[in-house]
Amino acid sequence: MSGVGPMYPQEKPEHPYLESSYVGNLLGNYSSRFCAGCGYGIISQLYTRTFEDEGLDPKKYPLIIGIGCYSQIILLVHHSAQKILTLHGRAPALATGIRMGNPKMKPIIFSGDGDALGIGGNHFVHLCRRNLNCVMFIFNNGIYGMTGGQAAPTTLFGAKSTTTPYRMFERRIDGIEIALAAGATYVARTTVAHPRTFMKYFKTALKHNGTSIIEIITPCITNFGRKNLDSLGNENMNLEEDISKMDSAGKMIEWIKKNTVRINQAKFMDERELFNKYVIGEFRHDTSQIEYSEQYNRIKDIAQGRR
Amino acid sequence: MISNDEKRFLEPGKHLMMGNVAMSEGALSAGASFFGGYPITPSTEVIEHLSKRLPEVGGCCMQMEDELASINSVIGASLVGAKALTATSGPGFSLMAETISMAANLEIPFVFCDVQRNGPGNGYVTEPHHNDIGFVRFAGNGEFQVIALAPMNCQELFDLTITAFNFAETYRCPVFILSDAYLGHLHEVINIPPKEEILKRVIPRELPEDTSGRMFTYKDRVSGEYVTPKPPQMGTEYCPGLFIHQPHGPDGLPTPKPMEFIEAIIDKININKDKICLTDTYKIEDAEILIIAYGLPVRSSYRAVDIARKEGIKVGLFRLITIWPFHDEVVKEVVKNKKAIIVPELNYTGYIAEQVERVTDLKTPIIRVPKVCEFHHPNDILEKIKEVA
Ligand SMILES: Cc1ncc(C[n+]2csc(CCOP(=O)(O)OP(=O)(O)O)c2C)c(N)n1
Ligand code: SF4
Repeated sequence: MSGVGPMYPQEKPEHPYLESSYVGNLLGNYSSRFCAGCGYGIISQLYTRTFEDEGLDPKKYPLIIGIGCYSQIILLVHHSAQKILTLHGRAPALATGIRMGNPKMKPIIFSGDGDALGIGGNHFVHLCRRNLNCVMFIFNNGIYGMTGGQAAPTTLFGAKSTTTPYRMFERRIDGIEIALAAGATYVARTTVAHPRTFMKYFKTALKHNGTSIIEIITPCITNFGRKNLDSLGNENMNLEEDISKMDSAGKMIEWIKKNTVRINQAKFMDERELFNKYVIGEFRHDTSQIEYSEQYNRIKDIAQGRR
Repeated sequence: MISNDEKRFLEPGKHLMMGNVAMSEGALSAGASFFGGYPITPSTEVIEHLSKRLPEVGGCCMQMEDELASINSVIGASLVGAKALTATSGPGFSLMAETISMAANLEIPFVFCDVQRNGPGNGYVTEPHHNDIGFVRFAGNGEFQVIALAPMNCQELFDLTITAFNFAETYRCPVFILSDAYLGHLHEVINIPPKEEILKRVIPRELPEDTSGRMFTYKDRVSGEYVTPKPPQMGTEYCPGLFIHQPHGPDGLPTPKPMEFIEAIIDKININKDKICLTDTYKIEDAEILIIAYGLPVRSSYRAVDIARKEGIKVGLFRLITIWPFHDEVVKEVVKNKKAIIVPELNYTGYIAEQVERVTDLKTPIIRVPKVCEFHHPNDILEKIKEVA
């Protein structure tokens, strides 16, 4: 996180979505507190665009935001969206309360990889299990960005971080696999290098009546990129030939693209070929399951003798 | 929003019920419509009872994955306008501390029932032990003030739960009901008042009057008093866009001065101590020796006072119903010119004895009667009375 980001002068070309964002609406210019080259800028713009294009009612879609660098998205998303910044990892639990307190609402949860899969892993699993109508984004940059680049549960094998200065030796966790196992009914993964798919998945999730988990692979240039080479080595921690530093945003995006495999290709690949790769695509879209609050309404009916 | 009224209120009249159930019924009468919890002895009957009762009245009772999730779901429900509560015991309380502090910061009203059990650690799960008294006072990181009520029988568990909800609505702070393993499992006959009478007592959840963005406690510039607006509600126009941990200043808007905000969330309660600090007295007019007690030991103390009086010793009882905030001025007044103060507590530390010591002059001896996992027999207190008489 690099203090207050650049404040561009008014003369910059007019941006069609400028007014939609919170800061744009307030100040009339762009400003974000993300590092130059961070993927969160892209995500917040895509999010705001979808929100604006779909004409979503901010009162119906409260944003529940966890703790991490992405918490600053709070300033960039739609200006009148209702947002609450929660505690580290607890966003899914709070969203459950919101949804059950007022089932007309569809909470949208923002969380990071450390937030959702580290400290909040349990809440994440149970959110998926309950099939509560909500959308949960997991911004996976493979590192704890906000606290300065420590290893996350999602950090790729062989990567360097401040708490794994020699190499990451633990196996990584796969949020999508967990979501599938725990029973989320819409599960997809994409990257910031594939912005259109992000919008497509988000729109599908908005229409889906059940728990939607969307993981987005995003670059953390400051804490991941600078410390790592564009090849993290194989299972035996042997580095490959012809590797270069990942010290620019462009290189990180290229690296993400190189490291992703589409789901239909992945079917024909073995475990070794998929090592340290991200499989992207829609993993599940199951509309047959009943949503949690609807299920609870049945319980109310039984309790009140209507059934 | 109190829905499905017929089923919400019990038949007026006498009912035999367990403490935990009385507490739950009190919450229902106060208009609670959300409960998030995780089973833990000795509070489990609360979640069991509400799982049955809340769906009946159109509310929701959720068994969450852990206490962290329970309290967060309670906060979430409160944010969208439901009166919400949770119940737990020591180890669960430790987990919830993180979120209690957040709720105090955001001034989200909720009620918390701590059915205390022996500790530290897992402890003897079915033994009463008032060992969370200190923890409750500073229930989380950061500086904030809480309200804690200590009932002594099942009737009070019912009544004080309604009071607790009213305090939560008015002052927008965490409100605790300090029950214990014995009280939670005690079966007693309680008297349920008629629906109309209960409704007169209950402060309903209301929307804030103004939408100007003043959502937190502020100091009125003219009168200098703290004004706590009604809680904002997500999903309505009465919720400002940004609802985050940020200091809020004298005008209710974000401020760069953390000091003003800390002052506001602590002093909004301290200034209203006269309304919040409920107390009771028994034969203190001519008392030379004073017993100060709260919760269960009050019951033994009543008896001890009666026996001692029969023997001609002038003893009185001062009972704290609200234990936090501690009302220094009132206690200072009652302990004046006493021969001795006796503080029977169901813990070894003597959390309240410490407070009494703070406000009493050095000449007056303060005698603690600690008990852990067992009750004060009136004779235990009587012994001490006789020692100083
Ligand atoms: C209970 C608790 N523990 C630790 C922290 C410190 N902390 C803040 S953000 C963060 C890491 C967030 O990582 P991630 O979710 O991956 O988001 P990123 O910053 O990478 O976007 C940590 C450990 C905290 N705020 N609360
Ligand atoms: S995630 Fe990384 S690049 Fe993005 S703001 Fe945080 S530290 Fe900077």
